[in-house]
Amino acid sequence: MNTFLFRKFTPLVALLGLGITACQPDLEDDFKPSKGSVDFSRYIAVGNSLTAGYGDNGLYREGQLTSYPSILAQQFRTVGGGEFAQPLFPEANANGSGYLTITGFNGANPLINPEARVNNAFVPIGQFAPGRAVVATGSPLLIRYTATDNQNLGVPGIRVADVTTTSYGQLTAQSNAGNFNTYFERLLTGTDSRTYLQYVQERVATVKPTFFTNWLGNNDVLGFASSGGTAAPLTAVTEFTTKYNQVIDALTVDGAKGLVATIPSVTNVPLFTTVPTASVIAQINATPIPAALVPLIAAQLKLPAGSPLPAGTRFGLYVRTSNTTTPVREATENDLLLLPASAFINSAAVAPNVFPGGIGIVIPGAPAATATALAASSNAVPNNLVLDASEVAAVTARTTELNAVITASAQRKGLAVFDANTYFSSIARTGIVTNGVSNNTSFVSGNLFSLDGVHPTPRGYALVANEMIKAINAKFGAQVPTVNPNDYRGVRFPQ
Amino acid sequence: MNLKSLLLAGGALLSGTAASAGGYQVTLAGQKNNGMGGVGVGLSLDQAAMFYNPGALAMVKDRGVQVGANLTLARNAFVAEGGSQQRQLRNSYTTPLNFYAGFGPAEGKFRAGIAVYTPFGSKLQYADGWEGRTSLTDIDLKSVFVQPTISYAITDQLSVGAGLVVLAYGAVNLQRDIPLPDSYGHVELDGKADTKFGFNAGVFFKPSDKLSLGINYRSKIDAVVKDGDVTFSGISATFSSRFQATKFGATLPLIATTSVGLGIMPNEKLTIGFDASLAQWSKYRVLRFDFDQQVNGSTTSESKRYYQDALTFRLGGQYKLTEGLTVRAGGAYDQSPVKEGYVTPETPDNDRLSGTIGASYAFGKFGVDLSAQYVGIKKRTQTQSELLNNGTTDRIAGTYKTNIVIPGIGLNYAF
Repeated sequence: MNTFLFRKFTPLVALLGLGITACQPDLEDDFKPSKGSVDFSRYIAVGNSLTAGYGDNGLYREGQLTSYPSILAQQFRTVGGGEFAQPLFPEANANGSGYLTITGFNGANPLINPEARVNNAFVPIGQFAPGRAVVATGSPLLIRYTATDNQNLGVPGIRVADVTTTSYGQLTAQSNAGNFNTYFERLLTGTDSRTYLQYVQERVATVKPTFFTNWLGNNDVLGFASSGGTAAPLTAVTEFTTKYNQVIDALTVDGAKGLVATIPSVTNVPLFTTVPTASVIAQINATPIPAALVPLIAAQLKLPAGSPLPAGTRFGLYVRTSNTTTPVREATENDLLLLPASAFINSAAVAPNVFPGGIGIVIPGAPAATATALAASSNAVPNNLVLDASEVAAVTARTTELNAVITASAQRKGLAVFDANTYFSSIARTGIVTNGVSNNTSFVSGNLFSLDGVHPTPRGYALVANEMIKAINAKFGAQVPTVNPNDYRGVRFPQ
Repeated sequence: MNLKSLLLAGGALLSGTAASAGGYQVTLAGQKNNGMGGVGVGLSLDQAAMFYNPGALAMVKDRGVQVGANLTLARNAFVAEGGSQQRQLRNSYTTPLNFYAGFGPAEGKFRAGIAVYTPFGSKLQYADGWEGRTSLTDIDLKSVFVQPTISYAITDQLSVGAGLVVLAYGAVNLQRDIPLPDSYGHVELDGKADTKFGFNAGVFFKPSDKLSLGINYRSKIDAVVKDGDVTFSGISATFSSRFQATKFGATLPLIATTSVGLGIMPNEKLTIGFDASLAQWSKYRVLRFDFDQQVNGSTTSESKRYYQDALTFRLGGQYKLTEGLTVRAGGAYDQSPVKEGYVTPETPDNDRLSGTIGASYAFGKFGVDLSAQYVGIKKRTQTQSELLNNGTTDRIAGTYKTNIVIPGIGLNYAF
């Protein structure tokens, strides 16, 4: 090669290119990712279904791939983060536990049906008792994750109250009905009686995490709330404090930095907000009593034939507020009706009750016995479909108490805090626009909550990841880039 | 979007706008002016006076024909709020053209002419999958203006002139992605603007050989698109019933501009020009589309622009080195009409600073003009909280930076 010629012409060629290349502006230096005071090289995530990537009332491969820890790990990689192993369901069993999906429409209403676990007809595991996830007798357990490199320790259903329960992932005839959680079992390599806390300790010793996230606590109130206050009690504050701090201590034993997240108020999720109690009540109250019913009611009241009903007689919505004493009362706007209540309210009357589901008659001044007879009793909205006002207050108060424990623990250890409670309250109020796309907490149409009305969609999880990144950046002086939430889907519709 | 807004936005960004008074107004109308920072209102350089100040045409010594072509190379970088990934345009270019023919008696007081210029050619193609894809993926604007012009010298020192501005051709193609819950659809709006008329008038005063003054007014023209085509694609059967529109209409105001200019000729070789312009962008309030059928629940869409009037200042000069060779240099400062929190992807605008150089060589009656401009649009960041406060969350938070390089060449022949 003639270097003389090369030297001679290089400046010319460079000059020609200059006009074009010099023109391209460059912003990359202004937005260079940086790790601040954190070493992101080894990350582990502790938590429950939210951490596992659960959605649509199931844990399946697609959800796992878009779990917030997976998104965080991907972003951490821009600032020195390493690989992040998740206990993925294999491709051949991508349906995992099975999940809910929209199969079609009845008019404008989506038809939501279970997508079975792969290769068999077994229905999704779905809703389970607080803390537990048992499988039906004869139904196979979930596909086990056989590798020993797991860094996503999220176990659907687990409460802080469960972290020291032995044989939590060990299947015996007895435990399947008791403490057993099949989502924990599938993370263990074999028969193993360890507690979740011990599992976390082993993972910390093996992985030696430099950074962690911990989002435990939701099920300590959610189990109570999502059963309308009928299942497991709210976890006591003292028990929560002890066990939560045990987990944090295990995670920080080698000085790892991390982030914790608070418990969002369950009253902001579609499971509790989709059925609008106040307008349901108003609609029922405003429905005129059919003329054909008037003589029947009058007869019950022993009124003279042809006389009108007492002024103010109207339909009302009745709810049952306890299983044991079966008290029934008219609903108020402070009661939260659960999503499945929409199918129950106004459902066909079941004999001997003459009124549709949830509906009874309110008669001012009627004798107590008569009023009770005409009010809904057998057909009141069942206790497990309504979180009544006092239960709402109890859940809200306990959520506040437990969040105080979480933030105090973070304070003690110098951890970043993602205040999920404040964040979800805000988007429940105003929605959120992500790069020009509107999202809100509406069921199905809002993009953020999956078909179970409690767990986020992939887009909802992307928002969670972004908020965690903001909290991490603020706390540790880092500049971890966020993701574009619109790259992650909302609810999937039939194509 | 209607054509006008599109023109505004795109024009400003891509082609002429870059060089001109904030927004879309193009100062690429004359190749000599291009080399001098775009000055011309207070000068009588050549036939391009028909654009810059028709009043000066009668004072242009030569009659002649001239053509010019420019190549606009816009390069843009964008980083979304919170992100680190830089998005760049798929590279594209536009070629604004100009043509002038001036006639009249050699010693008479009249001059007449015809001007053709393409002030709003603009094209932006954003990167595949960029964060603002639901606001805009592609925009392509084309327009041709034709301006018959007359000018009359009332005295040796004072002349007036006016032209009928005809929006002879205007076309808009606008594309964006539609956010569906689990995927993206795509919509393309494609339409032609109606022929519309405006005027361009000016007064030129040259009290001495060393000094000249000019004032120019270009009227507002509403570019109107009716019955443009709407084409949806990539929308699954579940949602297709919500996207049924086939036609759209829109209006884009091509705003009025008032300019004053000053020319100083200290000697026969040196000419210095200074222009100041006020572009009445505040007329551009909203960009509204009307559809023949519903688009996701509405037959209209409105997007706030709330532009503000903007000033432009230009300074440039030329020096006649030899009998044949003239060299030029200049610069301009354009205020952006786009307020904080109102930046849209069609016009990722901000204040602009540009520098120009140029040269001409004359071979008798023939001449060749070369020009080059570098336009730097200042880096601009808008935050999601600004968008929320303004109710402008139909666009995207982040940081834009745009540079434009515009080489140009012109040929002229004097009768």
